[in-house]
Amino acid sequence: MSQAPAQRETRERIAKALEGIDHQTSESRDGMTCVDVDRDGLHETLLRLRDFAGFSQITFVTAIDRHPAEPRFEVAHQLWACAYADRVRVRTRVNGDDPRLPSCVDLWPGAGFMERECFDMFGVGFDGHEGLKRLLMPEEYEHHPLRKEFPHQGIEPDKLYREWDAARRAEWEASS
Amino acid sequence: MGPLTPSALEPVETADAGFLATRADALVNWGRKNSLWPMPLGLSCCGIELMAMIGPKFDIARFGAEAARFSPRQCDLLIVAGTLTWKMAQACRTIYDQMPDPKWVIAMGVCSSSGGMYDSYAVVQGVDSLLPVDVYVPGCPPRPDAVIDALLKLQKRIERENPLKRVISGPATELDDTGTGARVYQPNAAVRRSMLDRHPHAPRAPRPLPHPGGEEEPS
Amino acid sequence: MTAKVFQYAPAAPELEDDPVRGELMHLNMGPQHPATHGVLRLKIDMDGENMRNVEPVVGYLHRGKEKTCESLGWAKFLPHTDRLDYVQPLMNNCGYLMALEKLAGLAVPERGRLIRVLLMEISRIAAHLIYLGTTAIDLGAVSMFFNTFKERERIYTILDAYTGHRMNNSYIRMGGVYADVDPEVEGKVRAFLENFPREIDGYEAMLTGNRIWYDRNRDVGVLTREEALAWSLTGPNLRATGVEYDLRKNEPYSGYEDYDFEVPVGTVGDCYDRYLVRVEEMRQSVKIALQALERIRDTRGAEFLAEDRRYVLPPRGKVHTSMEELIFQFKVVTDMRLPKGEAYVGIESSKGELGFFVASDGRSNPLRCHIRAPGLMNVQAIPLLAEGRLFSDMVAIIGSLDFVMGEVDR
Repeated sequence: MSQAPAQRETRERIAKALEGIDHQTSESRDGMTCVDVDRDGLHETLLRLRDFAGFSQITFVTAIDRHPAEPRFEVAHQLWACAYADRVRVRTRVNGDDPRLPSCVDLWPGAGFMERECFDMFGVGFDGHEGLKRLLMPEEYEHHPLRKEFPHQGIEPDKLYREWDAARRAEWEASS
Repeated sequence: MGPLTPSALEPVETADAGFLATRADALVNWGRKNSLWPMPLGLSCCGIELMAMIGPKFDIARFGAEAARFSPRQCDLLIVAGTLTWKMAQACRTIYDQMPDPKWVIAMGVCSSSGGMYDSYAVVQGVDSLLPVDVYVPGCPPRPDAVIDALLKLQKRIERENPLKRVISGPATELDDTGTGARVYQPNAAVRRSMLDRHPHAPRAPRPLPHPGGEEEPS
Repeated sequence: MTAKVFQYAPAAPELEDDPVRGELMHLNMGPQHPATHGVLRLKIDMDGENMRNVEPVVGYLHRGKEKTCESLGWAKFLPHTDRLDYVQPLMNNCGYLMALEKLAGLAVPERGRLIRVLLMEISRIAAHLIYLGTTAIDLGAVSMFFNTFKERERIYTILDAYTGHRMNNSYIRMGGVYADVDPEVEGKVRAFLENFPREIDGYEAMLTGNRIWYDRNRDVGVLTREEALAWSLTGPNLRATGVEYDLRKNEPYSGYEDYDFEVPVGTVGDCYDRYLVRVEEMRQSVKIALQALERIRDTRGAEFLAEDRRYVLPPRGKVHTSMEELIFQFKVVTDMRLPKGEAYVGIESSKGELGFFVASDGRSNPLRCHIRAPGLMNVQAIPLLAEGRLFSDMVAIIGSLDFVMGEVDR
């Protein structure tokens, strides 16, 4: 690839920043540097990448659900270094029975909505995120839509509306 | 401005309503149909085409419907433009309830007509599971010409209503099912109460045609 | 403002009523409100005219796009990308397909890239026109809406002639574009582009030096560079704070490195700067589009669609005459398989960095397609900019951050 020298420079910078943390570096299919860490080292990794490797912005936090396999969730944090014009993806695998990760809202406040979305769609919790609640679905919704076992057409999609409608009707009938 | 058309001038076959009422009906209908105030519920892509419709090229002011008000209390035509989700459904129903009678609904685009391309967990499969719809407009999004056509069709429909009949034969004693204390009024008698209890993914039961000038709900 | 930088304020805490300063008023704005540009809902706690606490509530247009992609498959998801940011459908097509092409390792021919650049820049102009029209109408300049829509209608007419629909075109294909630009369309685009800078002058004559516009926008919603980076803001909102970073320049894609254009940046980072940046971006878009047109004229007759039949739909005419092509067509639509792996592509959309993160496990159904929506980040920054300010500044802030709910909620 034509970007090979830049790629090498990025990897050296990351390796230097992450000295002493248990991690593997690899290259994904699109040529981006990927760092695999476990759950306990995630926060420290992100902190060092921000402070010592210049990754000033978080681009997205999302998860991949590999359902029958365990650990099923692969949570990806992608970071962007404004000054170096490069990116890194930090991947962490978590089990389906205890999907929790440390939050990085204290590092980048912009991660707030991303983590809320990830929690909403996959049910992956983020420790240390105070306002962790659903983002896109209603707050009373019971399911996590992007999990593989959830059907595309949903489970009782109109349940909340019907409850609201019944309550409204009962209130009106009591008052009239 | 449309003329006083002959179809509205035909006498009504009731004991109380005679020639005078027919003339008055025609006058009221003529006023109503040429001064529809739309409430543009611009939810998604169709909202942009709705803006284009109000904009300079299509200019629905030519049909007397340019006074778009974003307060439902001032409007009599709800244009549901775009994808309605179950999260938004409560707001949509509330807006409909807050609109004063008489009121009409245009479902603009396939999403609001039938769910369209979104057969997913979050989308209402057609707003007619919440509201009575008068005109459906297909297209994703429909061109503004198509929505103007829907507007003209709705105007034709308004022409056939008998607004004074209820005044002459006394107010309806039955309360509407909207929960707002409104009386049952003929333009919205097309929706049956049981429609709300239908599961949106269940196959559609054949619907009776909207009753244009009837006294009761069609059974 | 700066004291709050690195603190994320999650939810409105239970506010106790202050007996000295009176009750806080809980104001609900939206989800159906003309100034929220869609179905955004804002819960605001008001202290008199000041906003104490703002909480955006999104999701009123959540249609489950990502789930839809997983169940439909790669090829059939393409029309759904149009409806993400529906004021610039062609840009979303490009972003999605570039991610797939990156994963598949598919190269797009030169002419295909030129046509894409042309369409993307026209889309950017159309999107910024929506920004200008709606923001101006919210701040009281009603005539701007009609002026910008007049130009948008011209773009619609051109796209209608070229792509077959006014919006939601679904015109870009894996490996290129659906059809070539014919000379007639080219002439129409050129006429539009050559006239458009004069229209921008007209908008600027109406707004830039306008006392009301200036006072409502200047020093309202000020963002610093650090805040913008920490809050994941990209695109014009980031550039208005003075960061000269444009994906077209710094991480070029689709051949943008060959074009001559400039990246406008702001100095203060307020609403007025964001307005100036966007107006200048429209001028630069015209410049890029004209260069692309030149090259399209020079390369007429060249191939505009890749030939790889694993991913690229065969031309329509051949499908009806050749058995192999029919089979390829069937395979691509129903069962397109991408290699195992992950790919991310971010493009410079009119709202910021529009990213597509796609992951495949080698089967025909996608493993994951995450859409990195710049609009969501723009919505997230509303409390940062609005808290502590007067309520009348809210519409200026919402308008200048520029988001489209279809993309925010997906």
